[in-house]
Amino acid sequence: MVDSEVLDEQAVEAADASHSAKVGDHQPGSTGISNQKLAMWAFLGSECLLFGGLISGYLLYRNNNQDGPAAAEIFDIPFTSVSSFVLLMSSLTMVLALSAITRGDHPRTRLWILTTALLGAVFIGGQVYEFTSFYREGLGYTTSPFSSAFFTLTGFHGVHVSMGIVMLMSLYFSSVRGKLKTENAETVEIVGLYWHFVDVVWIFIFTVVYLMAKGI
Amino acid sequence: MRRLRLPAALLSVVAFVAGCADDAELDTLKPEGEYSEQIDNLIDPIFIVAFLVFFLILGLTLFMWAKYRVTEYEEGDWPEQVHGKTSWEIGWTFIPFAIMAAIGAFTWILLSDLNATEANALPIQTAEGEVMWDPHVVVVGQQWWWEYRYYFDADKLEELDDANGNPAKDLPPADIVTAGQLVMPIGEEVELTITSRDVIHSHWIPALNGKRDAVPGRFSPWKIQANDPGLYFGQCTEFCGLSHSRMRMQAVALTPEDFQEWVTAQLADAETPPGAEAWLEAYRAADGSEVEAPEATGAQRGLVAFTQNCASCHLVQGVNDLTYDGATQVSGAAPNLTHFASRTTLAGGILDLYNPDGTLNRNNLESWLRNPEAIKANAAPERGMPNLGLSEETIDDLVDYLETLGPRPSDEMIAATQVD
Amino acid sequence: MAITEEPPLELEAGDPLPEYAEQPLGVLTRPSGNTGIASWLFTVDHKRIGIMYGVFAMFFFLIGGLEALAIRIQLAVPGNDFLSAETYNQVFTTHGVTMIFLVIMPLAAAFANYLIPLQIGARDVAFPRMNALSLWVWFFGGLFLCSSVIIGGWWENAPDGGWFNYAPNHGVAFSPSKGIDFYAIGLQITGIGSLVSAVNLIVTCLNMRAKGMTLFRMPVLTWMLLITQFLLLFAVPVITVALFFLMFDRLYDANFFNPDAGSDPLLWQHLFWIFGHPEVYILILPSFGIISEVIPVFSRKPIFGYKVMVFSGIAIGFMGWGVWAHHMFVSGLGPISVTAFSMSTMLIAVPTGVKIFNWLATMLGGRLKFNTAMLFAVGVVSMFTIGGLSGVTHAVAPADTQQTDTYYIVAHFHYVIFGGALLGIFAGFYFWWPKAFGYKLNERWGKWNFWLQIVGFNLTFGPMHILGLQGMSRRIDTYSEGFGFELWNLVASVGAFVIFLGVLIFVINIFVSQRQAKHLPPVGPDPWDARGLEWMTASPTPEHNFDEEIEVQQVDEFWFRKYDIDDDGTVHRIATGDEVAQPGTATGVHLPAPSYWPMVLAAGLPFIGYGLIYNLWLCVLGGLLVAAGSFGWVFEPADDPDAHHGGHDDHGDHDDDPDTDPEAAAALDAPEGADDVAIESEEAPVG
Repeated sequence: MVDSEVLDEQAVEAADASHSAKVGDHQPGSTGISNQKLAMWAFLGSECLLFGGLISGYLLYRNNNQDGPAAAEIFDIPFTSVSSFVLLMSSLTMVLALSAITRGDHPRTRLWILTTALLGAVFIGGQVYEFTSFYREGLGYTTSPFSSAFFTLTGFHGVHVSMGIVMLMSLYFSSVRGKLKTENAETVEIVGLYWHFVDVVWIFIFTVVYLMAKGI
Repeated sequence: MRRLRLPAALLSVVAFVAGCADDAELDTLKPEGEYSEQIDNLIDPIFIVAFLVFFLILGLTLFMWAKYRVTEYEEGDWPEQVHGKTSWEIGWTFIPFAIMAAIGAFTWILLSDLNATEANALPIQTAEGEVMWDPHVVVVGQQWWWEYRYYFDADKLEELDDANGNPAKDLPPADIVTAGQLVMPIGEEVELTITSRDVIHSHWIPALNGKRDAVPGRFSPWKIQANDPGLYFGQCTEFCGLSHSRMRMQAVALTPEDFQEWVTAQLADAETPPGAEAWLEAYRAADGSEVEAPEATGAQRGLVAFTQNCASCHLVQGVNDLTYDGATQVSGAAPNLTHFASRTTLAGGILDLYNPDGTLNRNNLESWLRNPEAIKANAAPERGMPNLGLSEETIDDLVDYLETLGPRPSDEMIAATQVD
Repeated sequence: MAITEEPPLELEAGDPLPEYAEQPLGVLTRPSGNTGIASWLFTVDHKRIGIMYGVFAMFFFLIGGLEALAIRIQLAVPGNDFLSAETYNQVFTTHGVTMIFLVIMPLAAAFANYLIPLQIGARDVAFPRMNALSLWVWFFGGLFLCSSVIIGGWWENAPDGGWFNYAPNHGVAFSPSKGIDFYAIGLQITGIGSLVSAVNLIVTCLNMRAKGMTLFRMPVLTWMLLITQFLLLFAVPVITVALFFLMFDRLYDANFFNPDAGSDPLLWQHLFWIFGHPEVYILILPSFGIISEVIPVFSRKPIFGYKVMVFSGIAIGFMGWGVWAHHMFVSGLGPISVTAFSMSTMLIAVPTGVKIFNWLATMLGGRLKFNTAMLFAVGVVSMFTIGGLSGVTHAVAPADTQQTDTYYIVAHFHYVIFGGALLGIFAGFYFWWPKAFGYKLNERWGKWNFWLQIVGFNLTFGPMHILGLQGMSRRIDTYSEGFGFELWNLVASVGAFVIFLGVLIFVINIFVSQRQAKHLPPVGPDPWDARGLEWMTASPTPEHNFDEEIEVQQVDEFWFRKYDIDDDGTVHRIATGDEVAQPGTATGVHLPAPSYWPMVLAAGLPFIGYGLIYNLWLCVLGGLLVAAGSFGWVFEPADDPDAHHGGHDDHGDHDDDPDTDPEAAAALDAPEGADDVAIESEEAPVG
């Protein structure tokens, strides 16, 4: 709160210079951050609690496998590590996309956006494969508290990645149509915020769900 | 603002009215045991502090109403524009904090007292001889009645937690299993281990201690103690579905001698109606040998009717214990009827089993058997006793038989009950 | 819109839709006009949205109130069979859910929507279309919840697990009707509404403030509402997780709350109360804010200790997260957690107490004018105090083991929610009514309204303290004679009807006052000689709020433009409110245009809900509506360049398209040159 007040004072001073005395002339806003970016930050704050709740639920049940397979028996750490690496790399390409559009290099922007989406899709593919193989090994959704919590948590993360891919593809197509201009760089940045958040959440999930199960 | 006095007046009679009503058996301000007294001793002064604070604030409000009210504003009539006064604000931050800290300290002390248990040894004569019993009852809630299980062998208690799924559905066999009435010796700390077979219930005998939830999958420790012999009323206080309001219980506190007598009676198998021994033996053996069902007395016919209509859910030790495998209910349990007539209530503590004159309350028992759903809403047959469509003759016979499942409780207990 | 030059598009009653200007974008034309039903349904104006929140909430208030009366009739005498146990359980569940999620929260949202932009000197909220979306998502979610009472038979399918809906009683085995599915899905839908609204209002408060309106110049109400939005932002996802788990348990046999499968029912309680306790402050803080505006005006003094009021609100907001387990003192937590939560609960009483004393100090030495708004505000101070003090008595965990789940608790939280939140909201009604509708509510009727409500309220809930201490359990559909419950239950039931009468008089007052107002002079911008920026424009508020931006130099800016304080402390008038206030006659102000899409998108959600419960094909229908809404939204510029522009077009210096969201960059179709980048879409509502 105090920080934003400081920002706020600065914004007021900054606004003084160019103020046009029209109500609603708030860009970039009292805090110096655009509305859209601030909204995304607020939304991500809320998402933290969503995943916090899901992760807590999983932590409660992670050893509660009843008669079904236990976490340590079925997780394939090398496989999941590779798909985690893929997802983390997509954060890098996301940054490259932002850097490209800031420079006004639209072909590169499209290239990196597409790469990011592709890496995300590879991750989702890996998750689908993983779910299928777990199911074959006897870990159904209703097998045990552990299985319900596991599939719900990782499934929710998968849905978030998929939504990120939808956003990225929207960016891609609007860029193809020439609608994503250099001055819209912030839009890419905001999608990037979401994407990085989803990646960071995965780091937590990978640690809490996979590595802790194996005692690594 | 005058009428703001009303809530104050109402509140100030809280302690008075709640403390004085003669027939308020669930009254939380009339402690009859050590722990409820401790709670009462803590909360009474807090009530007084709360009243003082309330009267202070109400008084200040009324004072300002009397002193500063105006009907219309006059131009220019402005009071001093005070924006705040740090010393005052520090004062009313610190003083409430100090009051809270004091209350907190006493709370802390009492909490640790209430959560401590001591190891006691009460000599109890069992079939195997005398054992030293640290009074302890396992309390199991289910829709919509309470089961009380007594283990005189403390080692059995260690086995409680040992199951997949809900362990309350697979409890080790107990020495005594009863329902609706928690029988306990006076003066002793009686430890409770509270759990549930289906949904969450809450076990509460206000005169003896606060409540503790019965959570399926958990065994929650609690304790109660009664100073004097008597009957103490309780009510399930966690919403548990349809008949939550009709899930009651009583604690029956007995002198150590009476308690021993009760234990001895409960440890025995159920009495067999005279003349039905041969048939019962054949029924238990289930060896195919034909023994004609005895039909001389109502109790004999009632025993046969019990095996036909009730034995798939209810257990009577000495009758169907060899074949009994739990009830066909979501909870997997129905009240144990071995010494049914030694209790003073039925149907989850809501109906009297005896009239004030000491005779069996046939009316209550018959209407319960005729159509339980009319007395206690349930989701039979999965949850609650179903209407079995019994004929009036069968009902009569069953009542005759159930009356034999004694021993009959004492007249004092019967007189103290009278719940409906 | 303040475009007087253009003839308004008049709507004949029964005319389905107004005429729409052709749009170059093609897909569909967008709504326009500022009269008629359609202008309300598709509006993105924060004031109309606020009013609709209020109207819809009052509709639900009627439903919840009738349910309360049914409960009190049933409990008036022992052994009553007015309601069966089955119905009673549904009635008290829907009463709780309705009053909390469909009455108090949206009434607070009504004030938040109407007043936040006005109090910070903004033209609208940050994302007007998202604002419409949150209204409609909430409203359709509320209708969805209420429909459970009718669908599949009258009171057959309503949720019956209590608003707290504990596991495992909420499982299919114990509640086989569809009611709890309605609960789980309905609250997810209203939760989406709350979340969207929270994001929107947080950004509004932080980013849309007028020049000079620093955070510590914001009115206390805006502060309390901002804290409320933060609480919602963080609390809603927690209950959402719990509701997901519940929904998966019930619909797909997952094992989150089923003890037979080895899971722990306390998980629900923790998730529910981590949401549920901040929720209590979500309900009460707006009311604290309201009376912090009302009391100074009718005491002719500034709020005592502005910063302390703000900081105590923030402290309550933070500490509200550390006390949830006091709802679970008897559920079998370890003694250490019980002790810790007992202490933290006592601690939270401190900032609350500070607020009460600050209100009293505001009144001290003032010129107190006890009109209806002030009576309700002072009513909050007294009644909430009772609720707060009884709260302290069960923060004492050992005492709580005697009190919890008895009527003592019912008394406690009604003193907090009715005596605290609802009375405060009524104070707000009387106070801001002239600002919103241009006429004052009648004082004589208002006083009847207040006194009936306060007397009825104390008659109803005062005796419940006694009943609880006498050992009457909560949520019992009936009770037996002989426990001493008869007298006070009867008194409580009589009181409930007195409350009902009081609320009825409020409704009558609206119409009486409206009629009388025709014969009275206009109330003017500043009928109370008030202090906040919202009074600095015409009443009712013009659609564009302010003609020009206000430059703020201090707390209570408006008051300081009217009055000056000498060195010796005397106050004199330097201007009248009418002189200082803006006339509200500016024209050609560029405003966000109305839109169909928030409503279309929101309308899809209940269908998805019905689909999950009954038939997945309905989900397809709902999904199509959501998709149509999203696409329409994305392809529609947030600002309509052609509609509602009057004489001079201030487009050029106005590229603050408020609704912009990343995803949509995608489909962005800038309506005109690069100066008006209208990018927008919603996250497809998660889950």
